[in-house]
Amino acid sequence: MKEEKVRKIVRKGYGKIAKAEKSSCCCGCGSMENISEQVGYSKEELNSVPEDANLNLGCGNPVALASLKEGEIVIDLGSGGGLDCFLAAKKVGNKGKVIGVDMTSEMLDKARANARRGKYANVEFRLGEIENLPVADNTADVIISNCVINLSPNKPRVFAEAFRVLKPNGRLMISDMVLLKEIPQAIMRNVAAYIGCVAGAEKKNTYLNLIKQAGFQNVQVIEETQLPYEALVSDETAQQIMKELKVTKAKAAELFGSAISLKVSAVKPKN
Amino acid sequence: MKRKLMEILACPIDKHHPLELHVFEEKDEIVEGLIVCPKCLRWYPIRDEIPEMLPDELRKDTEDLPFLKKWRDKAPKKIVTEGKPFSLKA
Repeated sequence: MKEEKVRKIVRKGYGKIAKAEKSSCCCGCGSMENISEQVGYSKEELNSVPEDANLNLGCGNPVALASLKEGEIVIDLGSGGGLDCFLAAKKVGNKGKVIGVDMTSEMLDKARANARRGKYANVEFRLGEIENLPVADNTADVIISNCVINLSPNKPRVFAEAFRVLKPNGRLMISDMVLLKEIPQAIMRNVAAYIGCVAGAEKKNTYLNLIKQAGFQNVQVIEETQLPYEALVSDETAQQIMKELKVTKAKAAELFGSAISLKVSAVKPKN
Repeated sequence: MKRKLMEILACPIDKHHPLELHVFEEKDEIVEGLIVCPKCLRWYPIRDEIPEMLPDELRKDTEDLPFLKKWRDKAPKKIVTEGKPFSLKA
């Protein structure tokens, strides 16, 4: 699939999700709070942000591992409903700043409404593309991203951009979906599966190598977790996709089972 | 958008920084305005408080030109007639 086409489809798909009353499915479905807790958010954290901020699209909580300090500048790649931005905002405080970048205007509308409701003064959102960050060189202390980079058709570019905007010694702290084994072409090609994260995901080793190739050092896997795929395959959207592709439930479980949520940290070297 | 955000904004295409800011409507935050890259003459709308810093291929002239038309008297002349990726003919 052409890069442009992939981008447009992802934008459109997530625009729809943002508009929908109910949260839809990326790396977690079913009961929202329930899944969010499974991927690493605490009840307290979920209760501390506006209800709508958690669209349940992420695969793990980068904030918990981002070790954010007061006063830091944080950029969230693919900020969605804003959940991670709001949690990050609490940690960096008024002297710090959190900037959420998302290419879907419907998502941004939602995030901004949440920012108003939660009265966050240190969070800003902007429409942008993670392959072309509208951010100056050497400005961010930390880049966070939660289950988003897998959707990009040009991952090397995403990591190169993250590297560029980070300050020397700045940290990349991301959580993403990667694969332990290849997913069949038929699914790879399917657009609906793309929106559901799985088809865009790289193999784990390839993913880690891409981060290194962008110039990052100390590339460390902090955690690997199996996704709650039983919930995924019983979700309405997922079942629709499976039906279209004529994939059995057992096969789907096997496929989703090879996808894991990976938490990675890396550092931009000083020189 | 808050004015302070300009400190870290760069053009997504050529990464130029700093960018020029033209404010058309401001309340607590900038509601409508224009962000201009002086290097490549690309312009980015601030609409509904959100700076829209998308690369060319994700923009639509049908959405962006009406914005430029609306503010043509307040926007810099050079951008109105020569701005990228879309401009209004003189």
